Amino acid sequence: MTLMKAMEATNAGRGLASVLTAGFVSVLVGCSGHSERTLPVRTALDEGAPRAAIHALNKELEVDHDGDMPTKIEGDNALLVLDRASIQQSLAQWKLAQNDFQAADKAIDMLDLAHNAGDSIGTYMFSDSSGKYVAPPYEKLLINTLNMIDYLEEGDLSGAKIEARRLAVMQKYYADQLNARDNPILGLGGFLAGLAFEKAGDIDEALRWYDEALAFTGYDVLAPTIARLLPQGTYSSPRLKQAAARGQAEPPLADDEGEVIFVIGYGRVPHKIPKRIPIGLALTMVSGSISPGNYAMANKLAAQGLVTWVNYPTLAPGQGSYAIPQCVIDGQYVRLEEAVNVSQQVREEWKNIEGKVILSAITRLITRLAVGGGIQAATKGSLFGTLLSLGTQATMTALDTPDTRSWETLPARIAIARVRVKAGTHPTHLDARGVTRDQPLAVAKGGWSLVSLMALR
Amino acid sequence: MKTTFGLVGLLAIGLATSGCGKEYVRGSQDPSIDNAAMSTGIDKDDIQRMLSENLNNLRNAPVMDKWRADRGQDTVAVFPFQNDTTEHIEPALSAILSEAETWLVDAGTTTVISRERQNQMIAEVEGHTNPVFNPAHVAQYGKQLGAKYFITGKVAASDERTDDARRVQYFFFMQVIEVETSAIRWQHKAYVTKMVR
Repeated sequence: MTLMKAMEATNAGRGLASVLTAGFVSVLVGCSGHSERTLPVRTALDEGAPRAAIHALNKELEVDHDGDMPTKIEGDNALLVLDRASIQQSLAQWKLAQNDFQAADKAIDMLDLAHNAGDSIGTYMFSDSSGKYVAPPYEKLLINTLNMIDYLEEGDLSGAKIEARRLAVMQKYYADQLNARDNPILGLGGFLAGLAFEKAGDIDEALRWYDEALAFTGYDVLAPTIARLLPQGTYSSPRLKQAAARGQAEPPLADDEGEVIFVIGYGRVPHKIPKRIPIGLALTMVSGSISPGNYAMANKLAAQGLVTWVNYPTLAPGQGSYAIPQCVIDGQYVRLEEAVNVSQQVREEWKNIEGKVILSAITRLITRLAVGGGIQAATKGSLFGTLLSLGTQATMTALDTPDTRSWETLPARIAIARVRVKAGTHPTHLDARGVTRDQPLAVAKGGWSLVSLMALR
Repeated sequence: MKTTFGLVGLLAIGLATSGCGKEYVRGSQDPSIDNAAMSTGIDKDDIQRMLSENLNNLRNAPVMDKWRADRGQDTVAVFPFQNDTTEHIEPALSAILSEAETWLVDAGTTTVISRERQNQMIAEVEGHTNPVFNPAHVAQYGKQLGAKYFITGKVAASDERTDDARRVQYFFFMQVIEVETSAIRWQHKAYVTKMVR
């Protein structure tokens, strides 16, 4: 009798330890998904209230002002700062946007480089959202690309060139290490970086970047510029020569002329949302890549009726992709070219990893049930042990939050234009998705000005 | 039961210590706080290292002997250093500039032109609508200021990234240029490397 009591006490102790451990982990991991946290931000943007969106982000970051940084820019805070950066940009708060982009750039870089054992344990045992956030290539490339706009808006070529060089480091990394050379974000990056180097007088570097941009469609507007720059530089390529030939027809920039460059981002990329699908359907979707052992185990669990649903993240519909932005200077409409379809990049990237994400969700499910089974076995099938097992499984199920983290405030599409104007002040009007910007632009002889609009709704 | 109490105790200690507040530390009380590298940017230690290397070299350069021989009659302007790196290190470059200027004034071998006058001159050359320093026009600034020499420089960087590390190698160049001839009278370099892994 005494022995039985002692065993029960030991079992109860182990069980309590498991529950405490699960509870402790839940404190560390946190429960709500990222998309749930950022719902007020998206809602405010949809309502055309970017200031309210920044306020919601500041609340999440636990800061009082737009320029304040959270005590720790790590984990999800880096993403929230990135979200805030694009909204600051849409409000023409260039300096604040620069600070946010720079801070998020470094923080996400650190996350990429970090080796944290807890990440893999969290990913495997509980939820992908408890692991570190690894930004997909299009996000990393867009940080520097969009931040270039902030500097170019202010006419700060030095700052824009630094962002261009940072972009080049990531571009080289993706090309050399990941063999990813065809990301269309690089086209827009090349267009803006080329502009920064061209206006700073570094012709060869400008030509190199423009050559990069011409590898993608949507940069016909560069032809006259390249026709003008190519004879001045030493760098050349077949692509540049072809563009220069196309641009020969246009007369060179007159002494009393300057240039205006327009960049309009509109809509919002699809963000990630949690999704529940029947286990049978999930198994069909990953039948080609799941291990035979896990497949058999999952089938067995499904057949026993123990598991019916699998949680995993997927993409919500994007918005604003089909809008038609307008750009007017001196009362004349300017023809815009689509530089990059960011939403398409998001979808393509997601298509590449969706199978792995579902597979990971099934693996987590099996692990969760195995832990529950382990507790039941440790308590030798006692009623108390069964309850503990169920409790642990329930806790782990509650913690199984699909990873819905992504940069949610990216424009769905970005369009560009580049026009020549007489030196002087020119009224401009930019309009997309009901968001407008009216800006009188002062253009000096031989000078330039960049004006942008980010309509994130 | 002991296991349970042990775990509860550990949990309590863990929770009690995890919420500790931030602590502010004064460098004069704990000099070690200056030692740690906090980023791949340039910090005080890097500035001192690079400047010490370059200015020690300038101290023994022929142009310095000439300035000493001219007994402070030579006028020198110190122009902004160019940032050709992948980091936004403008505040650090501004600190380098001020440190170099202070060193030159303390050396007492030349007449150093005030930076405020330089800014006026830059505005006159570049136009008042966009009075931004343009490295291509330094000789013009120097002539307008009546400077015989100007000190300038640039920081370039080689920035590389792998799966688990990012390394930035800084190359800090300083030079003394004679305004009249645009001849480089002195030039020296210093290196600093920063890495995150």
